[in-house]
Amino acid sequence: MKYIQESALTGYVTIAVTGEKPELFFQHCTSYGIRVWDVRKTKNDVCEGNIKVSDIKQIKQLRRRTQYKIRFKQRKGYPFFIRKLLGKKELLLGFFLSILLILFLSNILWEVKITGVPKDIEEKINKQLNQYGIHPGTWIFSLESPKEIQQQLLDDVPELLWVGIDQKGTTFYLEGVEKVVVKEEETPGPRNLIASKKGIIKNMYVTKGVPQVHVNDYVEPGDLLVSGNMGVNEEAEREDDEHKQVGYVAADGEIMATTWYEVKVSVPLQANTEQLTGNQEKKFHLGFGDFRVPIWGFGSTEFENTHREISEEPIRFFKWELPVKLIETLVSEKTYDKQKRTKNEAVEAGINQAKEELRLRLGPKARIVSEKVLHESLENGKVKLNLYMTVEENIVETQPLRQGD
Amino acid sequence: MKKLQQGIRPWLTKYFALPSDVVLELPRITVIGQLHVYIENHKGLVTYSDTELKLRANNGYIQVTGSAFVLKMMLPEEILLEGTISDIKFLPDG
Repeated sequence: MKYIQESALTGYVTIAVTGEKPELFFQHCTSYGIRVWDVRKTKNDVCEGNIKVSDIKQIKQLRRRTQYKIRFKQRKGYPFFIRKLLGKKELLLGFFLSILLILFLSNILWEVKITGVPKDIEEKINKQLNQYGIHPGTWIFSLESPKEIQQQLLDDVPELLWVGIDQKGTTFYLEGVEKVVVKEEETPGPRNLIASKKGIIKNMYVTKGVPQVHVNDYVEPGDLLVSGNMGVNEEAEREDDEHKQVGYVAADGEIMATTWYEVKVSVPLQANTEQLTGNQEKKFHLGFGDFRVPIWGFGSTEFENTHREISEEPIRFFKWELPVKLIETLVSEKTYDKQKRTKNEAVEAGINQAKEELRLRLGPKARIVSEKVLHESLENGKVKLNLYMTVEENIVETQPLRQGD
Repeated sequence: MKKLQQGIRPWLTKYFALPSDVVLELPRITVIGQLHVYIENHKGLVTYSDTELKLRANNGYIQVTGSAFVLKMMLPEEILLEGTISDIKFLPDG
């Protein structure tokens, strides 16, 4: 029976043989090695049987030497089925379109589920997501990666402490954790203010506590600036009510002092810079493994130097990721610039660079007052600078006072 | 010579217990209920119709009668008959 199944794959035909004793024709065929099956006699002089498509030629040859007549009745099996199917263009088109539709729908975001946060925050998150373009009905591969969305959400919704984004098929699951805003402790414990750096005090603004230094004093790190112990001074007053309040307070204030830094920088005389010109092109490819088929943006770019940004998004079918990827390439034109600097320009650039570095280190409140080049040397096409910077900044550091004995 | 061969073959089956259908070139008929008859080693089809199948055998004919006969499979020396079988007869030559 195995060969009957096999012949369903290769295709078979039903033939009707007419003539005297038609069954003998089949017997004749079998002796030539042709397989015949399902032979039945329909009439006295008509016999039907199945043969393989590949045997048709031989059957025709065998028939020539006999008086039998052969009629082909039915064509069955896979090849005929396929041919029949191919004949029906509408059916094929419909099939193709339905696959396309499923493909299309599988790559669309259907639902955004937000869990773990109260309604109002959920609303806020939804609003933000809409702004990013994440809402039911968008293309999945136009979305940014979950990591980036997470970061953006955390930046834009301050109430969120943490947000986890998981994409399962066509659904976006967001799990948020609300930030419980705890107000800063209003009354910090008693403390002193001490110097964090050495410097000369320029300006003092003490809101609480007893200043222990004066303007133009030189302080070393750890020196007491403002004392939280009020008792010493207040003892002079004899009033009982105030006496009770006297004791330790949390010293607070701002003490600006001039500090100094020595900074070393080296600046090359020759600099290569890359710059994007702003001209860009988008290209789309379909990727199968390493193989890529361009679907949009053909031909090579006319840009001489390019910077490429490539992002890949897998195409989905139902919940599975197909091995086909949509690859978007952003080609930006860039130009190389070679800059030569004179020594003076390099020194200037070095000073600016040093200032910038220092500003980054000290924060926005610090003000750079002056700078001085201590030493400069030219080595291997680089200018090395030793700079001395004078800065005005807040040097306050808190030191809790131990209480109770 | 041929006579000797014919004489030696039954002797072979008898004393060496060789299968008789192989040695004697006799048809082997397998019947499954009334549904199937599987005949091997036949010498050719003589008549076939809806109700009758006649095959040539070594000496004589095999006749199968019944109804709704279909030849499920035909190979040079094998035949599988399907239908409702009522009779299997051995007819002598002539």
